[in-house]
Amino acid sequence: GDDDENESLSLKASPDIDTFFLFTKPAQSTSELPAGKEVHFLVGFANKGTKDYVVDSMDASFRYAQDFSFHLQNFTAIAYNRVVKPKQEMTLAYQFFVSDAYSARPYGFTVNLFYRDVDGNHYLNAVFNETVSIVELDEGLDGETFFLYVFLAAVFVLVAVVAQQFFVSFSKKHISSSLSSLTSSSRSKTETGTSNPNDVDYDWLPEETLNSLNKSPKVRQSPRQRRVKRGTETGTSNPNDVDYDWLPEETLNSLNKSPKVRQSPRQRRVKRGTGSADD
Amino acid sequence: EEEATTPARLLIEKQILNKYLVESRDIVVNYNIFNVGQSPAIDVHISDNSFSTEHFDVISGVLKVTVARLAPGTNITHTSVVRPKAGIWGRFNFTAGEVTYLVNEDSKDIQLGYTSEPGEGFIVSLKEFDRRFSPHVLDWSAFVVMTLPSLVIPFLLWFKSKSKYESIVSAKHANKKH
Repeated sequence: GDDDENESLSLKASPDIDTFFLFTKPAQSTSELPAGKEVHFLVGFANKGTKDYVVDSMDASFRYAQDFSFHLQNFTAIAYNRVVKPKQEMTLAYQFFVSDAYSARPYGFTVNLFYRDVDGNHYLNAVFNETVSIVELDEGLDGETFFLYVFLAAVFVLVAVVAQQFFVSFSKKHISSSLSSLTSSSRSKTETGTSNPNDVDYDWLPEETLNSLNKSPKVRQSPRQRRVKRGTETGTSNPNDVDYDWLPEETLNSLNKSPKVRQSPRQRRVKRGTGSADD
Repeated sequence: EEEATTPARLLIEKQILNKYLVESRDIVVNYNIFNVGQSPAIDVHISDNSFSTEHFDVISGVLKVTVARLAPGTNITHTSVVRPKAGIWGRFNFTAGEVTYLVNEDSKDIQLGYTSEPGEGFIVSLKEFDRRFSPHVLDWSAFVVMTLPSLVIPFLLWFKSKSKYESIVSAKHANKKH
């Protein structure tokens, strides 16, 4: 049997007891343990004597490879409390998790089995007491890397969307400004901000709506031109200061076409804006 | 080596493979038998009496196995499926099964051993298990029904307004063509 290494209690192995140690996970290797994985092992305990033995507990620990009295990590001592009669044997299972914080190098690994006989004598077997290497498994794709790539892809898509939005708005501004320079010469980028008090931006309107507004035969002046002219009027000459821009065109048209009202509200307002006394 | 071949030596691991032990649901019990000696183990009998018939039904496999011969350095796996009977739930201590075998071909003495003990486990009642893991179809459909009004009513208001103004626009286009 194995000697009890300089454990604080001077416990010895019983001559009646035969132990056997087997790693079952990882199955093949006995000297290489994977970091970040479970390790399972079995310990066989055979009673060759004539007395009953009671297996109390078993623990496992990682030691410093150069000095086995220096503990790096102790694992739980599992209490078994199983009686083994003479000429009988039994199997003990133990499993623990190797933290992936362990670097890949040799460590001392010790498994201690504590038991006693019916007379109350305590014994200890170091069923495994060797140097093992912890190895880092080289897995193709772990979760952390996978989500890192997902995150990078998301950032890339976000940048692409922002760039696309930027270019679309840029080109739209160019088109609409050139369009407005064709249709209404009075609206230009060089006008002062204060001359357009409402500061309504028509860029959001679709092109055909702008065209139909500009081309509308009934209304000689487009709403846009009106707005610019109104900008030059004095505030007091339009006391109600009602803005009809929000009305749909057909409503304005029907208002303009209405035989009862000779003057459309729009024309009225525009005239009023120029200071004529028709009102 | 002057030493003769050592007798057969069996390590038997009994595992419960389930993550959740549930009343009236299958429990998979796995027996891994390793011969770590240098002689073949003969006439290996494994019998597991820890699943009493008043508490468990054997669904698949058997709890008494005989392996005629297990060569040195090999292992064999046996799996059984048991199911706790209805109404059996709570803490349950999974204890060891018994093994008997002859340590070599000429042996007369029967070696008696025990498997490892999976230890205590808690068998969850089926009601508790359903409460935690069922898809909750009824609950979700009730939730859908309850959330419908707050989604459908604003949508209908919007759709009414939209279709009204779209009909005006299409009428205008029709007028223009004439």
